Amino acid sequence: MAPSIHLAATQAAAASLPKVDYYADLGVKPFINAIGPYSSLGGAEMWPEVIAAMDYAIGIKVRMDDLHDAVGQRIAALTGADSAMVSSGATGAMILGTAACMTMGDAQRMERLPDSREMPSEVIILKGQRYLYDRSIRAPGAQLVEVETAADIRAAVSDKTAMMFYLLNRPEQANIAAEEYIAIAKELSVPIFCDAATTVPPVGNIKKTVAMGFDLICYSGGKGLRGPYSAGLLLGRKDLIACARQNGSPNHRAYGRSMKVAPEEYLGMLVAVEKSLEFDEDAEYRRQSNVVNAMARELALIPGVTTVAAVPKGEAREPYIEVHWDKTRYDVDVAALKQALREGDPSIEVRALFLSNQQLHLTAVALKDGEAQIVTGRIRGILLQHETRANADV
Amino acid sequence: MFRRRSFLKGAASIAPLSLVASAAAADIENAPKRDFYKELGLTPFINAAGAYSSYGGARMRPEVVAAMRYAATHKVKMRELHDAVGVRIAALTGCESAMVTSGATAAIVLGVAACMTLDDEKKMRQLPNTAGMKNEVIIQKKHRYTYDRSLTVAGATLVEVESEADVRRLVNDRTAMMFFLKPTQIGDDIPAGQFIALARELGVPSFCDAATTTPPALNIIDGVNEGFDLICYSGGKGLRGPYSAGLLLGREDLIRFARRHAAPNDTSIGRGMKVSAEEYLGMLVALETGLRISEADDLAYKGKRFDVIVNAIQDIPGVVTKVFINEGHAKELYLDIDWDADLIDLSRDNFVQTLRDHSPSVEIRLMLFSGGRIQLSATVMDEGEDVIVGQIIRETLLAHR
Repeated sequence: MAPSIHLAATQAAAASLPKVDYYADLGVKPFINAIGPYSSLGGAEMWPEVIAAMDYAIGIKVRMDDLHDAVGQRIAALTGADSAMVSSGATGAMILGTAACMTMGDAQRMERLPDSREMPSEVIILKGQRYLYDRSIRAPGAQLVEVETAADIRAAVSDKTAMMFYLLNRPEQANIAAEEYIAIAKELSVPIFCDAATTVPPVGNIKKTVAMGFDLICYSGGKGLRGPYSAGLLLGRKDLIACARQNGSPNHRAYGRSMKVAPEEYLGMLVAVEKSLEFDEDAEYRRQSNVVNAMARELALIPGVTTVAAVPKGEAREPYIEVHWDKTRYDVDVAALKQALREGDPSIEVRALFLSNQQLHLTAVALKDGEAQIVTGRIRGILLQHETRANADV
Repeated sequence: MFRRRSFLKGAASIAPLSLVASAAAADIENAPKRDFYKELGLTPFINAAGAYSSYGGARMRPEVVAAMRYAATHKVKMRELHDAVGVRIAALTGCESAMVTSGATAAIVLGVAACMTLDDEKKMRQLPNTAGMKNEVIIQKKHRYTYDRSLTVAGATLVEVESEADVRRLVNDRTAMMFFLKPTQIGDDIPAGQFIALARELGVPSFCDAATTTPPALNIIDGVNEGFDLICYSGGKGLRGPYSAGLLLGREDLIRFARRHAAPNDTSIGRGMKVSAEEYLGMLVALETGLRISEADDLAYKGKRFDVIVNAIQDIPGVVTKVFINEGHAKELYLDIDWDADLIDLSRDNFVQTLRDHSPSVEIRLMLFSGGRIQLSATVMDEGEDVIVGQIIRETLLAHR
């Protein structure tokens, strides 16, 4: 059979090549990730099954439209969504979803984006939910309209309104509860989009979120789902997903032609969803808890250091510890400690920015065996280097 | 001292980092072997058409596949990877600076954005609203094409020109960039050299879409030498790199701005155009390998595939075959097949459809691209597939004698 010639030839040829340590060759160093699967750090470790699926898709060619159709149907069935597509990431999904709500299948409108003068282009957003990535809503030419109350929404919605937007991981920052917000959108017949990018794990959340009634929902593929780095999911209403696909690659003149998704990313994303849904998340949660708790015990042995264990509320359920130290005993602040960890060898990345309220957070989600001890050892070393004289002499 | 030693002990155990990769490799090999496309009800096909995006792009070089597997199991910080790969690609191609994009289209979008905003952070965040910034792109009327759509994605508008006088009259303080397409079907009113000189004189950055001008990869070095401020290439086609990857090469300052417009920067207009580490590294290795491998070897490989097909059908009375290198910027080998309609009663459309409907299905070049001829490309064909294609074509022609 012809197709297997492709696969076998590609894999055999790749396997027979001499092993090259590309990153050593380029002078790019590995690092220890105690912060989590952020895009700037290369995302999550992919499931081995995802990598195997990507190898398969590299080796065997199918027509892209057929692949998009088949994978979309399968992901819809797995998640309970009406329809689904794979995008170039959660941002890609937000851009295509917004473009879909603005253009609604109108070829002339699609051709004109981001010139949005003669189409609905306003996106309703809750003032408390303005965030870093709402920038992507504006990419295809939409404008954000801030609201705080149900009355605001009713006053703001007009024939210029393309979409209502909701950020799922910050429910406490919503001026209106999700259920009420959805109900208003339905009543006013405005498509409602939900950014749920960072709400997995647990993956079971996806089905619950789909059941809430949003018209479109996006997820990041290369983070909690452990799929390909530049892949994401857009789930939702069949007509809107069809419109989103029209605005996407590989359509030649689509606004989103540049947000290409490779066949291996398409298939890899499907396998990531399958694998994530069948995975024992409680066991993984316990594993991560054990690692962070062990780090907490190590660090608590250092005089003047205390730790607090915690789990994020709206965000992905990744246990973490918050590390505090006596600033009179160790003359180093959070920013300086973070920088020292980053600049050491191997470089270590920790969470110490606005997402952690300026505290030092350690997570285990992306730590590999043996790395937790290196992290705690380095923190101890840096603190002791900055120990004030009075204490050092004790 | 005790404290210092335990610190060193921590630093010394870096070894697990590389062990992790081999453990991952074993897990990947041990993953159950699944025939995914069969599960999905998809029929694979033999691609005798060429490296089109809608057909899944190029047959990646084995070196590229190996590099992508490596990057999938070794994590580094993206910015460091981007820096190192950019420096290496610039050195290989002779340009000042380089970046990997999510394809040639993305390279155009990011290049235009860079020329519109330069290093103004406020303007970067404001896109695609171009109020208060340069937003006009000069393009020759003869260079209007399907993908000029990407020039307007970041908010620019197109200004058409047909002569040097037009350019001088229409360039103004709103002009962000001058765009050049290589090659065109209908030529240029202003050739590349003159276009570049004009752009320099008028102080406007020039951009060249050279996406389809490979193979050979060596053409990139010539392209860079021509002197455009920015030039882009497709990665997943003639260079046989990753499907959703491309190259943007050019001036150090403009590449720096283009990178700020791109992923993974959180508030960039190009955050949606993500490029994975495996695509970044795969693109570099595609370029390195393409520049190293002799053009003659690549052409010989394709020639062998065509020999097999020609041998399978040349004894059929009335059948004429021609293997030739096309005239154009890219050097590509094609096989044309024709037959005497008095001896074989089969229209070209029916021939294409018969091959498509066959099991396994075979796609040949769309007649839109071949000027109405029956034309095959061997760029995405493996050894062995040539035998199958030859048999299918033989059966098809013989059935209509």
